[in-house]
Order: sequence, then structure tokens, then C-alpha cells
Amino acid sequence: MQVDVGDVVRSLFSEEAAFTVAIIVLITGGIFAYFIWRWVHLLFERTGLNAAVEGTTFERSVSRFGTSTSGIIATLLALFVYTVSIIVAFNVARLLDFGVFWAQVTRNLPRLFIAVLAVIVGLIAGDKAKIVIKERLRSVKLPEATILGDLAKYSIFYIAALIALAQLGVATTALLVLLAAYTFGIVFLTAIACKDFLAAGAAGIYLLLVEPYTIGDEVEIGEKRGIVQEVDMFVTHIESDGEEYIIPNQRIFRTGITRIRT
Amino acid sequence: MTGLGDLLDDVVEDIDAVLVFTKDPGTHEQFDDEEFETIVVATENAVEADKFVSLPLQFKDLTGRIRYALEGALDAEYIADGDDVVCLTTFIEDDGIDTVVRVKGDQFSHTGLYDLFVNSRADSEVVRNVFEVAIELGKKGQKGKPVGALFVVGDAGKVMNKSRPLSYNPFEKSHVHVGDPIVNVMLKEFSRLDGAFVISDSGKIVSAYRYLEPAAEGVDIPKGLGTRHMAAAAITRDTNATAIVLSESDGMVRAFKAGELVLELDPEEY
Repeated sequence: MQVDVGDVVRSLFSEEAAFTVAIIVLITGGIFAYFIWRWVHLLFERTGLNAAVEGTTFERSVSRFGTSTSGIIATLLALFVYTVSIIVAFNVARLLDFGVFWAQVTRNLPRLFIAVLAVIVGLIAGDKAKIVIKERLRSVKLPEATILGDLAKYSIFYIAALIALAQLGVATTALLVLLAAYTFGIVFLTAIACKDFLAAGAAGIYLLLVEPYTIGDEVEIGEKRGIVQEVDMFVTHIESDGEEYIIPNQRIFRTGITRIRT
Repeated sequence: MTGLGDLLDDVVEDIDAVLVFTKDPGTHEQFDDEEFETIVVATENAVEADKFVSLPLQFKDLTGRIRYALEGALDAEYIADGDDVVCLTTFIEDDGIDTVVRVKGDQFSHTGLYDLFVNSRADSEVVRNVFEVAIELGKKGQKGKPVGALFVVGDAGKVMNKSRPLSYNPFEKSHVHVGDPIVNVMLKEFSRLDGAFVISDSGKIVSAYRYLEPAAEGVDIPKGLGTRHMAAAAITRDTNATAIVLSESDGMVRAFKAGELVLELDPEEY
């Protein structure tokens, strides 16, 4: 906005009028900020975000200061709006005349705001991810399983920090490279780990659709001979006297099946 | 009132363990931190108790419920054979505890009722689902008429080899499992077919219309039960399967394992 409101008012009315306009801007800014504050609170309540962030570390540490996540974000937004209105008012009233400084501030304020928001959202999302993963793995009584939750949590923290730093204009190229390497590592390792599962699943789909053998048939697969007890996506159970072989489906495909007809 | 109080004191004197049949955390807390063992028995572990026996069905019959709980607690070694155990349970009312029963740990001869659900070849979830289908079928019948049905659960490969098809298998090349609501409807519809249903360890319905051909010599089941029960008992003796039978004549659901009648219950009570 290149039009200087202050100059327009000054040329139309008088110096005093400009001052009045500045005060009006301040007051409207205040009211507007209040409504934004209210609206965010309502939005959090209506969309169930309050319940969603419940139990995260961030929410807990915030509530120790007597506020909540919705409170913090609402205050932040209101503060942002109010700061903008103050700057406009000061500009109109020409109370301070270091224009360059204010121009800098107006340019950087939204970025700062987004950075803070990214940090808050990152903290909450990371905690929430950890809680969700932990709940999922609760039936697995394995202490090592908790590391998955932590991994997800810190990954999200890292990405949030990256966004915040990028917003503030800090050089993040090195961190970005690290993130890429990390993501690649995870994808690569998962692919290696799941290779057999993929092969077994593909073979399993064929076996289930075409049913070359079914439960009750006597078959020989590789060296193993017995009665088919169960066929699922990944494995086939074959039982002979007292021994149950659980054979991955891709092995069945590779060695072929001998059906024994009696 | 002192007479009543004394009587109650006698009943709960010198006990080794308490079986609490509850899902209510408040009731559970009342008995926690006492000098005897507290074991929670319910369909789900809602109170997150350390010692817990899971009920597969909401047994309406008190004896059956206590028998199952005792066998479960014995199996998990929460109690020993000679222990004195007090059961706090619900008898008349729908919720809240109204009954105190004192039993010995070895009160009932080991019937395998607990084994039926927990140590069957098939998953306990599958056994439970088949029971639910049988009970519901017993309650409503097929279009109001009483029907009979025979489900052979687990060890499906062997069962298939000891039986032959009476007609085309309606479940061929279908991959349906018991427990899905739609499948339960299908099972009910197919229950008018003759022969047995064969269900695998993981709950897949392998076949309907099966004529079971086990060797029935020497199978000992209560007199008066028909050919369907005889076939069920015999197939469980020859294989590691569990058979669940809905009787057409008296409407009872019976379970057989290893050739023996393990459980008998009336669908109307559930």
C-alpha cells in the first residue's frame, strides 16, 4: 500500500484530524484483536482441536502457566493484529519518523509470526504423534517399541524447526541436506526390510485368487509335504504328522507346488 | 444384624484370593491392596488390573461363570488347587455386586471349559465368534423355526480329509471369516443346508455341506443326543478341532473337544 493515509488526512483536514484517525485505528485494532482472540477460542472448541492436543507435553507445560494451547495461539494472533494496528496508527500520526525501521518490522513481523506458529504446531504435532504411536503399540509389550514414537516425535520437531528457521531467513541448506539424507535412509531401510513381505504379498494375492490348492489338499512344497491348513496373504501353513511348516508364499512360487492326488 | 454379619464373616474368613467380576474401577479399588490376591474377571480388562481372567461370553449361568473363572485363574497360577476363594459377582441385578460365593480352587473337576476358549487350536476369538453365531441362531432360529447346525472349528485341513462334500461348496473361492456381521447372516442362511460347516484356525469359512466321516466307535456322549452330536464328538476325537453344535430338538448349544462334551448352554439365557 503506497498511499500514505497520514498525508491524505492531513491534506484533507488538519494535523489534529490525523491524530484522531490514529487513535481510531488503535481502538479498532484493539477491538478487532479481541474478536480474533474470541474467534480462535471458539474455533478450537468447535473443531475439537482442544481435545486433540490434550495430553501432549506442550499442552501440559502451557497449562502450568495457567493458559492453554488455544489461549496461546489466540493471544499470538491478537498480538499480531494489535501490533499491526499500532504501526499503522504511529504511521498516520507521524509520532515516530524512522520509516526504514518500521518498514523492516512490517516486512518481518508476519515471518516471525509464522515461525512461532510453526514451532508451536511442530511441538504439538510431535507430541501427539508419539502418543498415538504409543497407544497403537501398547499391546506389544516390548520396551524397544517406544523408540518408534520418539523417532516420529523428533522428526516432526526437526521439520518444524527447519520451517521456523527458513521463515526467519537463516541459511538452512545444510539442515535440509541432512533431512533429505535422513528421509532417504528411512525409505531405503523400510524398502529393504519389506522386500520379502512385498514378494510374499504378491504371491499371496495370486494364491488366494486362483486357489491352486486349498485347505485340506495334500501338497509338497520343496522338501515339505503335508496337508494345507491355512493360506493367507503372506504365508501358507502346511501340517504333517506333528509338524506344522509355515512357508512364505514367495518360496511356494519359486519352488512350485506338487499336489498329491489320492 | 449381628447374626447376618457373623455369617458373612464366616464366609469370607481365611481366604486366599478374591475373584471380582466387575468392569467398574471403583469396585476394583475397594478390594485392591488387601492381604489376599485380587483377581478381576470380566469380558474386558476395563480396570487394568494386574491379575485378570478374560470371560469369552457373558455367562448368565452362575456356576458356569465361576467354573470358567476358577479354571482361568488356576491356569494362570493366580490360585492353587486347595485355595479358598471368594467370588463377588452379579446374580440377579444387571450391574453391581449382589452375590458372595465361597469355593475351593478344585471345587469343579477339570472340565476343559477354559481350555475350550483359550487353548483351542483355533484362535479364541474365532471360537467365541462361532459361539455367538450358534447362540443367535438358537435364539431366533431360521425364520422362526428351530434349526440345527454343526460348526467344526480349527484343524480344517484334517477335517476336510475326514469328510466329503454333500454338494457344491458355497464358500469355494471366497475368503470370508467368521465375525464379520454380513458373514454371520450368510452362516444363518446356509444353516438350512445339511452337513457341517468347516472353519479354519484363523476363522476362514472353508466349506459348508460337509458330511463328516470320522470313526465313531467308542465315542461316549450322553444318551439321547442325536447323530449330529455323535458326528461332532467323533470328529473332535479324530482331529484337534473343536465342534460347536446347535441342537435342533432341544435348542441347546453344545461344544465338544477331544470327543468329550465340554460345554452346554441355553441360548435363551444370553
